[in-house]
Amino acid sequence: MIELRNVYKSFGENTILRDISLKIPPGQTTAIIGPSGTGKSVTLKHIVGLLRPDEGQVLCFGTDMATANEADLYKVRRRFGMLFQDGALFDSLTVGANISFPLVHHAPEMSEEERRAKVEEKLSLVGLPGIYDRPTSGLSGGQRKRVGLGRAIVTEPEVILFDEPNSGLDPITSDAIDALISEMKEALGITFIVISHDIVGTINVADHIAMLYGGNLVAFKPTEEFVRLDIPIVRQFLKRNLILPEGPDEVARLPGLE
Amino acid sequence: MNAVFAGLAGVGRYGLWVRDFCRALAAHGPPQGQTLAEAFRIGIKSLPILLIIAAFVGTNLALQGYNAFKPLGGQRLVGMFVSLAGVRELAPIIAAAMISAKAGTEMASQIGVMKIREQVDALEVMAVNPLAYLVAPRLIGIMLVLPALTIIAIFVMLSSAYLVSVHQLGLAGHEFIQFASESIEPIDFVYGAFKAMFFGLIICTISCYFGFNCGKGPAGVGQATNRAVVTSSVVCIALNYFLSEMLYGGAL
Repeated sequence: MIELRNVYKSFGENTILRDISLKIPPGQTTAIIGPSGTGKSVTLKHIVGLLRPDEGQVLCFGTDMATANEADLYKVRRRFGMLFQDGALFDSLTVGANISFPLVHHAPEMSEEERRAKVEEKLSLVGLPGIYDRPTSGLSGGQRKRVGLGRAIVTEPEVILFDEPNSGLDPITSDAIDALISEMKEALGITFIVISHDIVGTINVADHIAMLYGGNLVAFKPTEEFVRLDIPIVRQFLKRNLILPEGPDEVARLPGLE
Repeated sequence: MNAVFAGLAGVGRYGLWVRDFCRALAAHGPPQGQTLAEAFRIGIKSLPILLIIAAFVGTNLALQGYNAFKPLGGQRLVGMFVSLAGVRELAPIIAAAMISAKAGTEMASQIGVMKIREQVDALEVMAVNPLAYLVAPRLIGIMLVLPALTIIAIFVMLSSAYLVSVHQLGLAGHEFIQFASESIEPIDFVYGAFKAMFFGLIICTISCYFGFNCGKGPAGVGQATNRAVVTSSVVCIALNYFLSEMLYGGAL
């Protein structure tokens, strides 16, 4: 359903992704982890076609996002929902208008009442019932993520992408968001792709873990196998005391990359 | 020399962006129900400051016209001077400058903030074309409103010039009106509105272009806003000469 084949991406002299090949298991939760600046968000942006690779293929539902025209990209994107880092809510719209935004644009046949009922249902699902008419300006960081998640699931997509769902949140709210993702996983039974540098939360929610480091795919395993991997960089990350090498040469010499 | 190449490269990037916008507009059309709201918002926000500036430009045109023509004994020509300069040149360019300062900066900063907060990416991921959704209503709105603001500016300018000419400079009111009305034709109002629409097109596309291409963080938004107002004002003022040459030519 979603597969990256030999993807390379550079920005100027800076190579972000090197020969990344990754097949996302359908109907399960895959986490892509790694330290900041290692290409996780760039990978996610390739999957939804916001970025195109310099080389390689990004296959989503049979469409190569690397070469697809706008009409085909939009067709594929309507099968995705995405939660952005700070929710990416539109400040000029209320909570309800934000969540119903994709419905207004892609389901014009729905009546106002039907849309409202659907949005209220999703608000309850993300744990924020009764805030349909509230402006987004007064929402906390955690609430913004929940509303963003409501918007991501309102069209009942086949794949949901989470870009750093825990970033900028206190530990308690962060745990609550992880719990929410797990609940969603149970309730919806669809494919989740989670980008994170929070290893604890990731182990709790993910069925599979892919680790990126220095633009390379270090490992891609089911979670129970991943946590037992004897690759130093993985062990360091799992112990949450990752000490970054200083340059690309050191990255290339890491045992996990051989 | 590098600055020249950088400038030309910037013009090229702007051209490509405008091409992408035209394609997006052709493919998706403007979003429904936003254009009139946008026009109303731009008009209402810019009107008070435009009224004040147009009024005081009119007063000064009258004063300087009087000073210029009095030594020649032609102070009655103040009405002609004010109407020619005001209707054909100053009203469209002042309305454009105000819109650039008020609405253009707002467009650049709003879109810039949406860009850095990933809201533009969110539109893309929701399969909503950001160029058609964000730029089209602003463009149509500004092209509807700017001609109207220009016509309002013309009347305010002429009225304030009339008041100063008659009540301060002691000129005869009927002479002011006679010379003013004889020196301009109804077509001048059409030309003024045409200039205004063209300036609206320039201001909106330049401001949105800088918003879409703003750098990272709040500093990037600030820089985009600054570039939007400076570039669109300079381009409008420079193009005004060529538009006047094209519309009025030797008749100027």
